Amino acid sequence: MDFLIGWIAIIPSYATPLLLASLGLIICEKAGVLNLGAEGLMAVGAMTGAVTVLSGADPWFGLAAGSAAAMALALLFGISTVALRANHTLAGLAVVAIGLGITGVVGRPYVQKTFPGIPNLGDLFGIDRSSAFGRILAVQDPVTLALPILVGALWWWISKSRHGLRLRSVGENPAAADVAGIDVQLVQFGAVLASGLLCGLAGAYLSVATSHVWVEGMVASRGWIAVALVIFSRWNAARALWGALLFGSADALVPRLQAIGADVPVYLMMTLPYVLTLVVLVAGSMSGRRSGEPAFLGRVYLRQDKQ
Amino acid sequence: MLDTAFLVRRQNPGFLLTSLSYAGGLLVGLTVSAMLLVHAGVPASALVDEFLIATFLTSDGLSQTATAALPLVLVGLASAVAMRVRFWNIGVEGQLWLGAIASTWVALNGIGPEALRLPTMFVLAALAGAAWIAISLFLKLRWGVNEVISTLLLGSVAFLLVQHLLFGVWRDPANSFPVTATFPEASWFSILGWGQLHTGIFLVAGIALSIWFVMEHSRAGFYADAVGFNAKAALATGLPVLRTAVGLVLLSGALSGVAGMMIVAGTEHRLNQSVGNGYLFSAIVIAYLARAKPLWVIVVSFALGAVFTAGNVLKVFYSISEAMIVLMQGTVLMSILMAQFFSTYSLKRPN
Repeated sequence: MDFLIGWIAIIPSYATPLLLASLGLIICEKAGVLNLGAEGLMAVGAMTGAVTVLSGADPWFGLAAGSAAAMALALLFGISTVALRANHTLAGLAVVAIGLGITGVVGRPYVQKTFPGIPNLGDLFGIDRSSAFGRILAVQDPVTLALPILVGALWWWISKSRHGLRLRSVGENPAAADVAGIDVQLVQFGAVLASGLLCGLAGAYLSVATSHVWVEGMVASRGWIAVALVIFSRWNAARALWGALLFGSADALVPRLQAIGADVPVYLMMTLPYVLTLVVLVAGSMSGRRSGEPAFLGRVYLRQDKQ
Repeated sequence: MLDTAFLVRRQNPGFLLTSLSYAGGLLVGLTVSAMLLVHAGVPASALVDEFLIATFLTSDGLSQTATAALPLVLVGLASAVAMRVRFWNIGVEGQLWLGAIASTWVALNGIGPEALRLPTMFVLAALAGAAWIAISLFLKLRWGVNEVISTLLLGSVAFLLVQHLLFGVWRDPANSFPVTATFPEASWFSILGWGQLHTGIFLVAGIALSIWFVMEHSRAGFYADAVGFNAKAALATGLPVLRTAVGLVLLSGALSGVAGMMIVAGTEHRLNQSVGNGYLFSAIVIAYLARAKPLWVIVVSFALGAVFTAGNVLKVFYSISEAMIVLMQGTVLMSILMAQFFSTYSLKRPN
């Protein structure tokens, strides 16, 4: 029982970065831009967040700084893919290389230095930790708590609002959107920047809110899992929530087992999130439902091309 | 904002324009990289010395560059042959790890007669690499699972597998680091007497030339290009699309596997946690810069081998980390990707 409570208590903190990044990618890909750069964007967010807080800034400001820095890298991605029509796959991989590289170089003097993170609900409201519910609630942080609202708002914005319709139309049929007077590239730029913001926040959350430290390679393929999560969620923000919880539970299992001193093959257990991702992708394909993939995802639109 | 109305796709950009935009992108990428290095504390005057003279123009440096280039040629070819049939093999590192595991298994357990030890390692490494990519290939063909994600995630799985072995059954009790015992000498490529360069160079040369012949001068290479340009049209023409694609993808995995064997049997002589590091982006950058052409892969691999050699020196003298090489690779790739715009499109004034 103790193990179960401990496990459930940390699942949200593992699910949050995955969900934030997936939401960013969903916005970006709804506009037709395939974004494989999440891993690099998250690394930039994580490093910048940590360095900002280590330089004496407020942890909340660290989260904002991480998002802003990742947006700058996303801007480069947007210039290459949206304005200069570079191949989305290769540009995304270049973003990963730049993100991982620059964080390794710039963040080197800051490695392994711990700093205070954002306070959890227990500190903020003095929650009584005697009951199981209290123990779980006390270790959550405000970001995690705000996430369901963000998911709901995004879901509504993408699928119900006028602006969401414009976003989707660009990803489904940019020629039609163009004729309807929508500035295709402006929408795509906005979507790319939004993905930078959310992926950066996801990365900064990793360093500022959960680990309170920066180490090279701390994103550890979470960006790629977020890419897979988008496919799993069929480009739907609400379903991404459930996906992130599923992956978060798998991710959180190993440290919990280690914490109670269980004798398990740690490294084999750590493959669980990756294997689970593949299984889920296969299961999604076997279910035979519409994948929900935007029809123009990853393709180059020129106004005079025949569709 | 660029207005799409004035953007026209060039029908035939021509050799000069293509080369110019490519060279321009390369130049910008290298300049930015050089500026990054200077900013990180390498004196500008040392750049030519470290990157050109110490890597190509001294005997010591050239032998190091050549040794570093051997696995790079293999992973570059691996990425290139998959790229030719539009299969994104982002799991080069994973297949490389599997090849390294297979050859380590042969070496540590003394599988087969000693005279055939290296050939056994070679065959099993190739099979292991091919088997690892076969999973992604199967998932793609059977269930349409995106190969970018599956190859990459299987790369992470492979690395965890290596750690499982290195912290477990294969750990050398005499060493405080998680590494295997040193291989018996029968599992080493012999040294040629010029720096660290070993007989693996003959194997790599043979492989590279065979692949050049297959891709540029055989029917299979022609099929591959047809599949890469337009798989539907190739299928309609009656070409063996599936067989070509499957063959080249498996070849890609096998080449990465052999690269793993090349590293453990050629230079490290044991398995450790870092033999596969940095090969993923190297493979992509080499294949892209070489336009997936086998002979160019060799040229670019040598250039990158020099960067690695210089990187080792810079690490010691100026404490430049390995991440700098990844950053430089990303910068050059991004810069050439962007420069390509100028040869692919032209801006027309509206009439």
